[in-house]
Amino acid sequence: MSAGPIQEATPPLALVDVTKRYESGGGGSVTALSQVDFAVAGGEVVAVVGPSGSGKSTMLNILGLLDEPSEGSVELRGETTAGLSAAERTDARRESLGFVFQDFHLLPTLSAVENVRLPTAFLPGDATDRARELLELVGLGDRLDHTPDELSGGQKQRVAIARALVNEPDVLLADEPTGNLDRDTGTAILEEIRRIADEAGVGVVAVTHDDLVTDYADRTVELVDGVMRDV
Amino acid sequence: MSDRRFPAFSLATRNLSRQRLRAGLAALGIVIGVFAVVTLGLLGNALSVAAQEELGGLGDQVIVSPAEESGRETLDSRDVAAVRRAADGRGTVVPLQVTGGTVRGTGDQSFAQIYGTGNPQALFGNGSGAVTSSHRQGALVGSGLATDLALRPGSTVAVEQNEYRVVGVLPPVDGISPLQPDSAVVLPPREFTGDEVSQVVVRANSPEDARAVASGVRERLNSRQQRVSVFSLTSVLDRISEFFNLLNGFLLAIAGISLVVAGVSIFNVMLMTVAERRGEIGVLRAVGIHRKQVLRTLLVEATLLGVVGGAVGALLGTLVVVAVATQTELPLWAVLQPGNMLVPLGAFAFGVFIALVGGLYPAYRAAWEPPVEALRG
Repeated sequence: MSAGPIQEATPPLALVDVTKRYESGGGGSVTALSQVDFAVAGGEVVAVVGPSGSGKSTMLNILGLLDEPSEGSVELRGETTAGLSAAERTDARRESLGFVFQDFHLLPTLSAVENVRLPTAFLPGDATDRARELLELVGLGDRLDHTPDELSGGQKQRVAIARALVNEPDVLLADEPTGNLDRDTGTAILEEIRRIADEAGVGVVAVTHDDLVTDYADRTVELVDGVMRDV
Repeated sequence: MSDRRFPAFSLATRNLSRQRLRAGLAALGIVIGVFAVVTLGLLGNALSVAAQEELGGLGDQVIVSPAEESGRETLDSRDVAAVRRAADGRGTVVPLQVTGGTVRGTGDQSFAQIYGTGNPQALFGNGSGAVTSSHRQGALVGSGLATDLALRPGSTVAVEQNEYRVVGVLPPVDGISPLQPDSAVVLPPREFTGDEVSQVVVRANSPEDARAVASGVRERLNSRQQRVSVFSLTSVLDRISEFFNLLNGFLLAIAGISLVVAGVSIFNVMLMTVAERRGEIGVLRAVGIHRKQVLRTLLVEATLLGVVGGAVGALLGTLVVVAVATQTELPLWAVLQPGNMLVPLGAFAFGVFIALVGGLYPAYRAAWEPPVEALRG
């Protein structure tokens, strides 16, 4: 198992005093995150737990540069991402972040290899070999040309993990990675994620309801009504 | 491999193959629209060209006859000279005597138009060398009359009280002409009394010359009083060609509407497809595919529907019009004239354009949706 979080001077991804408010119907606003400070280190697995509506998804979206904070900033390798254009944020996502979703979100028309190399589709060069290696790494060396409907849930999530790793990200953001998997498959996926963190030094932030995830995490933080505290 | 060099194309074709029936129906809309534009456009052009060809000879003729207001029945030598001056270098001037009378052949008899002219070649030659340009004796008979009265060169024909030897049979007229030589007898001018002629026909070199001759004659003879009436079919032909242009425009507009409807169906299909693939598009955006790249992929999808539908429609339309031409009186050359090449090409381009426009808004909406909302589903 892990030797614990690797402390670095600048964490690959951090939230600095982030508040997120949404406009609500009656002219008021709802605070989804309140003054959250958070950082994930390379090789560290952090589980984010909390009840539904506590702001977990909002936090993951802001960490993933898919949404912007109302106050505070997201820092990528120590640099603020405030003021980046939509295109620059897209590039930053592609270069530094990997996403794993509860519903896998694989493209049904593409084979496993094609799904894995999808983030590189519009880039010069051919990532097929890397996609193959990654699929072998997650144990799908014999399913390279299968389409998602020919794969089990666990296999789909492995393809999704391989896709998240194709651009050698600094941080992997996982939204309920075991949410649609049975316990054994979930365990296998978490072992995979743990191994990637340990071997590739990738930081992992996993939002989850599943206690199993916390077993594989270096630390767990809890969000309640948008306020973060360590568990 | 092409799918790596053209990722948008590769993704687009796979997405289309997912809903084959729906993509097929959307493309079918374009097929029908382009087919309609091509068939109506080609037929309209072909009809117009065939009609111009049929009526073309008419446009070159100017017929000068005595004006009704002047009370005269004939044109005098001064009138003929004026017409000659107006037509100088623009065409051939043929003074013509016109009357009617009973014509008898070997057995039957018939009432026929009787023309007197010294130059039947210019008016009735119809491009054949069989008709003399200098008519001094004997009679030329129209092909219809020759058949009815069993006349051929060498026969004797009686016109009123006089008998003439048939020196030739006029070639049948295939176009429309203000003169009716098919059922007429043409005699030398000296068989008519006096120098005065019933009308002067000018065979102009071109429709423009005919127009110039007509206005020249009016200027010379009608400036003080209405001496002659000038009949030219050039303006009639202009009207006819105007009518055909209007008809073509109308037909194309109807066909164009069907193509626009096809564009609406592409719009609808693309809206459905991006609504269904919202989550996928959100994933594309999340994993670092740019908005413009998503937009391009979706536009390629819509455009492909237009390209396939347009190509099939243009091909089918052309084949059908060619088939119609071979089965009907419509001449094939009128369909295959070089100007008609533009019709299928233009319709194809229009079909592709319509599909592209139909895909624009759905693609834009999908690509510009914030990925957070798209992923939420």
